[in-house]
Amino acid sequence: MADKTKVGKEYPPVTWEVERGKIAELAKAIGDFDSIYLDKEAAIKQGYKDTPAPPTFLTVPMMWSSSMPGVINDLQINFMMVLHGEEEYEYYRQIYPGDKLTGTPKVASIEEKTSKSGSRMDMVTIEILYMDQNGEKVAKARTLLVERK
Amino acid sequence: MAQEIYFEDINVGDEMPELVKGPIVKLQHVMYAGASGDFNPLHTDDDFAKAVGMKDGVISHGMLIMGFVGQAITSWIPRKYVKKYGVRFAGMTRPGNTITITGRVKDKRVEKGENIVSCEVVAHDENGDVKITGRFDAALPSKG
Repeated sequence: MADKTKVGKEYPPVTWEVERGKIAELAKAIGDFDSIYLDKEAAIKQGYKDTPAPPTFLTVPMMWSSSMPGVINDLQINFMMVLHGEEEYEYYRQIYPGDKLTGTPKVASIEEKTSKSGSRMDMVTIEILYMDQNGEKVAKARTLLVERK
Repeated sequence: MAQEIYFEDINVGDEMPELVKGPIVKLQHVMYAGASGDFNPLHTDDDFAKAVGMKDGVISHGMLIMGFVGQAITSWIPRKYVKKYGVRFAGMTRPGNTITITGRVKDKRVEKGENIVSCEVVAHDENGDVKITGRFDAALPSKG
């Protein structure tokens, strides 16, 4: 079960340089061929500085850096029993190629819940605030992990 | 691509244009694993998935389905106006599923000088099983 003593703990920041190719690759993997993700000129015509990151792009730095699996491990959550319950993003500005993001995961809360069927679960909320190369806020991600017991 | 849209164009109760994705094929899980960095074999290795209790084999990445819903949103409301987007994962998706995304405007308001519309979104499969329920806020320009 999740280690409740770690509520409030911050993990080492993940740094990630955003590449144009990665933005296009994620969009294509989703099957989203909107030209704003694939073509800088098309993006500029539609009011962007460059090809913007799709809405779920911030999963990329967390997964490729293995940061999220590391957090799950540190919280002593059983990988086999964990479900991704919720995911939420607040966007403060667009993410573009060349941005150097720094994301700091923090354990926001761990709550025990009992489902209608009587099974017990830990609800673990991880928040990650992403800053850019100028120290400006870019986005906040919130992940709810559900560990069944 | 999304057309330009204004706060005045949107009314509470308006429906988001429906988006249909799929049927999902296993190859898409491989592409998504590589793109996202989520290499959990539950999504790409049938033997592993069966060994951990998925009798029909691999299941889709929840974040792939969240990506589908994101596509539905930004095909309607330009990416640059989306301020907040969150989902609850309600059910597992499998290869062969066709996912339909619908949405509806729940609220519009002026907040701190921004023209905010709040919408609910749902993704369900061909049997009507819900995979994701979610919500997004967008800050839209005004004609005025």
